[in-house]
Amino acid sequence: MPAHATHGTHGPSSHLRELLPLMIVSSFVGYRGVNIKRGGGKCKGGPGSNFPEMLVDCPSFSKPQRHMYDDTTAIDVVDLLKVFEKKNRAAVRAVDYISFRVRRGEIFGLLGPNGAGKSTTIKILTTLLPPTSGSASILGYDVVSHPLEVRKSICVVVQENAVELYLSVRNNLRTFGRFHGLTWSEIERRADGVSELFGLREHQHEKGVDLSGGLKRRVQVAKIFMIDTPIVFLDEATTGMDTFNKRATLQAIREESRKGRTIVLTTHMLDEAEELCDALAIVNHGRVIAAGSTDNVKSMGLRLLNVSLTFERLTNDILRFIHAYHPYKIETSDHSIEVKVREEEAALGILAGARQTGLLRHFEITNASLEDVFVELIDKKESVTS
Amino acid sequence: MKEVLAVMYREFLIRRTSPLWLFFDVAVPLLYLLMFGVAFDKALGLGLAIGGDSVSYNQFFLAGVLSMSCFGSAMNQSYGFFVDRDNGIFYEFLTYPMTRGQFLLGKILFQCLMSVVQCVLTLVAGVLMLEIGIQWEFLLLVFCVVIIGTAGWFFFLAIFAFLIRRNDTYNTAINVAYFLLMFLSSLFYPLENVPGWLKVLSYGNPLTWQTDALRFLTIGVGQIEFIVIESLCFGVFLLVSFWGAIRTLQRAI
Repeated sequence: MPAHATHGTHGPSSHLRELLPLMIVSSFVGYRGVNIKRGGGKCKGGPGSNFPEMLVDCPSFSKPQRHMYDDTTAIDVVDLLKVFEKKNRAAVRAVDYISFRVRRGEIFGLLGPNGAGKSTTIKILTTLLPPTSGSASILGYDVVSHPLEVRKSICVVVQENAVELYLSVRNNLRTFGRFHGLTWSEIERRADGVSELFGLREHQHEKGVDLSGGLKRRVQVAKIFMIDTPIVFLDEATTGMDTFNKRATLQAIREESRKGRTIVLTTHMLDEAEELCDALAIVNHGRVIAAGSTDNVKSMGLRLLNVSLTFERLTNDILRFIHAYHPYKIETSDHSIEVKVREEEAALGILAGARQTGLLRHFEITNASLEDVFVELIDKKESVTS
Repeated sequence: MKEVLAVMYREFLIRRTSPLWLFFDVAVPLLYLLMFGVAFDKALGLGLAIGGDSVSYNQFFLAGVLSMSCFGSAMNQSYGFFVDRDNGIFYEFLTYPMTRGQFLLGKILFQCLMSVVQCVLTLVAGVLMLEIGIQWEFLLLVFCVVIIGTAGWFFFLAIFAFLIRRNDTYNTAINVAYFLLMFLSSLFYPLENVPGWLKVLSYGNPLTWQTDALRFLTIGVGQIEFIVIESLCFGVFLLVSFWGAIRTLQRAI
């Protein structure tokens, strides 16, 4: 590693090293001074922001601890196993001894690639599927022995489009309210509010069968705002929504969380999870490979940093010295170069070297996004498995 | 009870949107009686000799039509599971705050109401248009058998609706089963003179048990001891089917 990247160097590098953990650092080099933005990591005030443990269910890491239920726990999952036995085929372990805990009022993301076991876990937690072994409880009620109590505490947006196709939008809301024990007057009052919130007022007499895919999804999501169950499960809830409605939905979810509802969501949209979740668990092949607060998961072990550099022109010398730091990933376009490195020293070394060229016009160092961490974790897990 | 009423309310809203469903639920058995029954009545002329009595085919067929409408009604309701499953709403239902039993009960109670309406229309048409003499004193018992019959068949068919994932497979299987059950029963003809193997199979068929009970209650044909045994058998069929439906529903995901 080049000398100027080591600890103890003076000048701008050592100054930046102190700021890196906070990071985003963004600057225009040269005559424009330095513009440093603090708080690149997400700062949230929810109960999950101090999520203490980092569970890593992987052969190379420690075994998850059994969580004890207390009044701050909304969901407790311990060593949950779900095996699907199929005729003439090998049994599939959709969920493989996973454990995690969700605190009350938290927005918790369950992330993972397709077939990772997210939806199966949600199905177990919502009493749709029995587990093969292990335990899961919702507000202290075991999902197997007290399914009705669990159902009274939850509402669910299932992955499938779930709209009554032959009923109007209004009647979809009404039937949902009836099923959850609302009075007629309460149903009408809440349906008015929800229709307003989700822009369904003008569609309220249209039947489900006549709605677009995005509108069907809106109706489905809108239903959960008809009632006040303490826990909400959202399985790919914003899939198919346009940007505006997605934003409105995310805002509404955030509001519900502030009111104290616990939200558990699965999504493929990692930027959405990063923006919304207080805590999350990343699952792959039915196992939790990382869990904790969103910030902790983002920073865990990997120390991935994005270094974005814009030069007057890119030269072979620049590329050569960057490669000397063995970057995890490097992408170039026109006069810009984006480098992902694992060590702060490497990021600082690259930055110092870039300044020395005299061609640097702009730089930005940011924490890796959740997506970077997600890809890294999944890749790492795959390589461990293989 | 609130939960059961919520399921019934939902069923009502859905039925209300389609007059075709109402027509199928209410009018088809009636048309069967008026067209099929009348044609056979004329073709057979003097009617049928059962246990020393002679009854017209219209009289005989009335109980068959009531049984058929119970089965058809249950079949329609069980087919609704596929519609719900295709809509995705089925899975959402199962997360609502009610037991699996309440869910099934709400569905079947609504369908039983439809069956009773069918039954009233069929009886009125039989009396007014075909001049069938009915034992009105047993009317409430007729309603009970219609309700129990519809429920029994619904729970029985629900087991297959939950086990079979494809609606085309279910459709084919149920239509074949319907055909066999109808013709291996006392629905269309008396069983006294049919071949021995057909008689054995027919008396093992819950559709025969239900039809015989309805025939006894509407026109007084049959022996009470035999009808009581058949009714008890149908009661067992109902309970086993209910248990089976709940079991399969719990594993229907």
